Amino acid sequence: MTRLTGFLPPALARPFNAVGAALLVIAALLPWATFLLNDGAFPDKATLQFFDAPLAVTGFRWQLLLIGVAALVLAFVRIPGQGRVLRALGWGGLAIGVVGAIFIASEGGGLGAITAADGTTAFGSIVAVLGGVALVLGSTALGIPDIPDWPTRFFGLSGWPLRLAAWVVLVVAFGGVLYLVSLTLTAGGIGGAADPYAGPIFLAFLGFAGALLGALHGAGVTRWVSRLSEEHRGFSILVLVACAFALPFTEAGSQYWMQVAATIGVYAATAIGLNIVVGLAGLLDLGYVAFLGIGAFVAANLSGAGASALGWDLPFPVAALIAAAVAGVFGAIVGSPTLRVRGDYLAIVTLAFGEIFYRSAQNDIGELTGGASAIPGIPPISMFGTAFNEPLELFGAELPSGVLYYFLIVLVVAAIMAVFANLKNSRMGRAWIAIREDEDAARAMGIRTGKAKILAFLVGATLAGLAGAIFVHKLGTASYESFQFLESVTLLAAVILGGMGTIPGAVLGASLLFVLPEKLREFDEYRLLVFGLALILIMRFRPQGLVPDRVRRAELAGETAMGKSIEEAEEQAVLEHEEALSAQKEDRR
Amino acid sequence: MTTLLQQIANGLVQGATIGLIALGYTMVYGIIQLINFAHGEVFMVGTFGALAVYRWVLPESVQDQWYVALPLMLLGGIVVAVVVAVLMERFAYRPLRNAPRLAPLITALGVSVALQEVVRLWFPDAEAAQSFPRVFVDAQVDLGPVQISATGLLLIVVSVVLSVLLQTYVNRSRMGRAMRATSQDRDTARLMGVNPDRVIVLTFVLGAALAGVAGVLYGAHLNSVDTNDGFQTGIFAFTAAVLGGIGSLRGAVIGAFIIGLIKTLGGQYLPGGTQYDYVWIFVVLILVLVFRPQGLFGEAERVRA
Repeated sequence: MTRLTGFLPPALARPFNAVGAALLVIAALLPWATFLLNDGAFPDKATLQFFDAPLAVTGFRWQLLLIGVAALVLAFVRIPGQGRVLRALGWGGLAIGVVGAIFIASEGGGLGAITAADGTTAFGSIVAVLGGVALVLGSTALGIPDIPDWPTRFFGLSGWPLRLAAWVVLVVAFGGVLYLVSLTLTAGGIGGAADPYAGPIFLAFLGFAGALLGALHGAGVTRWVSRLSEEHRGFSILVLVACAFALPFTEAGSQYWMQVAATIGVYAATAIGLNIVVGLAGLLDLGYVAFLGIGAFVAANLSGAGASALGWDLPFPVAALIAAAVAGVFGAIVGSPTLRVRGDYLAIVTLAFGEIFYRSAQNDIGELTGGASAIPGIPPISMFGTAFNEPLELFGAELPSGVLYYFLIVLVVAAIMAVFANLKNSRMGRAWIAIREDEDAARAMGIRTGKAKILAFLVGATLAGLAGAIFVHKLGTASYESFQFLESVTLLAAVILGGMGTIPGAVLGASLLFVLPEKLREFDEYRLLVFGLALILIMRFRPQGLVPDRVRRAELAGETAMGKSIEEAEEQAVLEHEEALSAQKEDRR
Repeated sequence: MTTLLQQIANGLVQGATIGLIALGYTMVYGIIQLINFAHGEVFMVGTFGALAVYRWVLPESVQDQWYVALPLMLLGGIVVAVVVAVLMERFAYRPLRNAPRLAPLITALGVSVALQEVVRLWFPDAEAAQSFPRVFVDAQVDLGPVQISATGLLLIVVSVVLSVLLQTYVNRSRMGRAMRATSQDRDTARLMGVNPDRVIVLTFVLGAALAGVAGVLYGAHLNSVDTNDGFQTGIFAFTAAVLGGIGSLRGAVIGAFIIGLIKTLGGQYLPGGTQYDYVWIFVVLILVLVFRPQGLFGEAERVRA
């Protein structure tokens, strides 16, 4: 069913789309800044004249050109999900234009920089914004159709040929994801003094990537791929892990990005653990980072670091297991009040536990945490005769140092994902979901809710403790400052932003929340402000997250489990009822 | 003995600040069952509002005349706190009135972080702690063996007087009756002609005004304010509200005095000293929530989802 949501009459849809798309193409070819910015040309080849060398555009102008050309084609060619695809492209173009306009105007001293000054004109960004707006308006006037369903059995294939074809599709899809991830990491460079334009270039790239993903989603491709991967689960997990291992071989395989990726992995693992507690069992935990901290301090004390009070030197796997176990025990302790406390009172209890941990670590409790001076000098993990901070040569490729940590964390995240997926579909997982939905009803159905809730805390904390052990070796120091309340909120935000109760959600959320600050160093001052505002806006406009769980979406967004809005479902029910009534009348006649 | 009495006096002063904030927590929770994490930030904003009045509004000639400066600063603090609270209710919480419980809680965390950052970034020099003028009699009052500063005494008196006034207002006035009705059953109250939206806004306004007063007096007492004072004090206030029984005004104030005493006495006598005084408050919070979630003065336990 196509919903009409536009401000414009449908008749104007096509002209608006065509004009908008054309404007985006033109914008890509126009100059963007009237003069050279202080830190060099922005965008690249800023002096490029209109239509001078259309194929020589680079960076975000090249991406804008791609968006424009795609939209221009789609304005005239009918495809399923057209409105959605065009709308996504429009928003992407708009985003690129807005980012460029704001950045150049603020760096170049006002509107003159993006319009006309000193005899030169540069309307690129303004034209891009106009084009984006026109495309969004036109596409919504066209109507926003339901996302088309593509069959998972295609071309009349069956048996082995079908399986092979599906595998090819999956390999291509995940390969594309890998390429996109590598591009996202490297877009704009590291930031800071080395790449003064990293922030805006990265934001513009996000606009492009968003447009691309939105368009694929609108055309039904992502849904199709995800259904294919459900049907070929084992194979897609294999490909996914292979892709993750292939990341160091791409452009993102520098020392810096490997370290960033490993850090993200640690937080992703922790977020998946938190997802068990919050997403599955519905127990809000505001002190979760304490478990990461407990794992970290235990591992630090068992690492043979000179500054640790215990000074034991255990092999890493043993130390990691002990760290996970200790964190798990604390998880059970923190979880035990759940027997008596519910809802947001529980959130406060966990917050209190988190604060107690923080204060204790700050004051060097039992001389185990180093207090304000932290525990420095933790040696890198060393297994099979290799220290993990060494560079590595693999298949003739020279991999930077830190890559071993990346491989390790990929394995751990994969393992944790497997634990999560299996738990979610187990008897215990169903019990957790039942408790989340209605604790009293779950108890009435014979679920031992107390045991289930404590187990949720225990499992979640164990996973966080394991992540903490890796975290501390990678970092080399264990300081209480890494485990503040704000970190707990960030982890919670990662789970919510990604979508509660789903694996890709937790990983995506953690990646976004920990890559963005890395990329947007120029805006470091405003990081927390943006973070706070983002929390408010997410809760207001997309509480179900980016990758929503089906049941969860039903609960938070007022939709039924089939993904329709409740009003729609009700309308349909009313229509069916009326039809049935009129049929009855006819029968009586 | 003198130490004990002195610490009790210090505890009462701390409790008075916490109590004024706790009233806001307990009223808001009583009416819309929201732990308004950002309420501590309203207190902080009030402090900075008053500081702004002192710095940029008051002419220098009256800055040291407390009977002119203090009322004006109180007014400034209250106005800023109320405006922030009303905006926050309107744009952050009201759209989520019927959302699942988790949503407004997380929004409240977001509001808290955002408010803290707004003040830190745009109040001049607020990256570091700011000195706050002592706009009141700068003297120590001798009460037998203990000494208490005039500002501390003022805090205690104001806190007790305002909470009694609030209690009377809620129990006696027409609007107070509407508040109580809304907190018991919003839909029925609506049927009886109460406009719940107005009542909820009024609740936020009252809470914010009290927090604003607390902010100004707290600043004057400590002579120093920082943007992250709000969150910590807010958590203490929430603890006090829970300890007293959430929804109970009297309980919130008594709970706050108990929390203040735990903080100073725990810092003095319990192992670990003042470094662990926060820990004892959180321990009390956990124990109360686990063993007596209805608090000291709360109603018998209601089922909370």
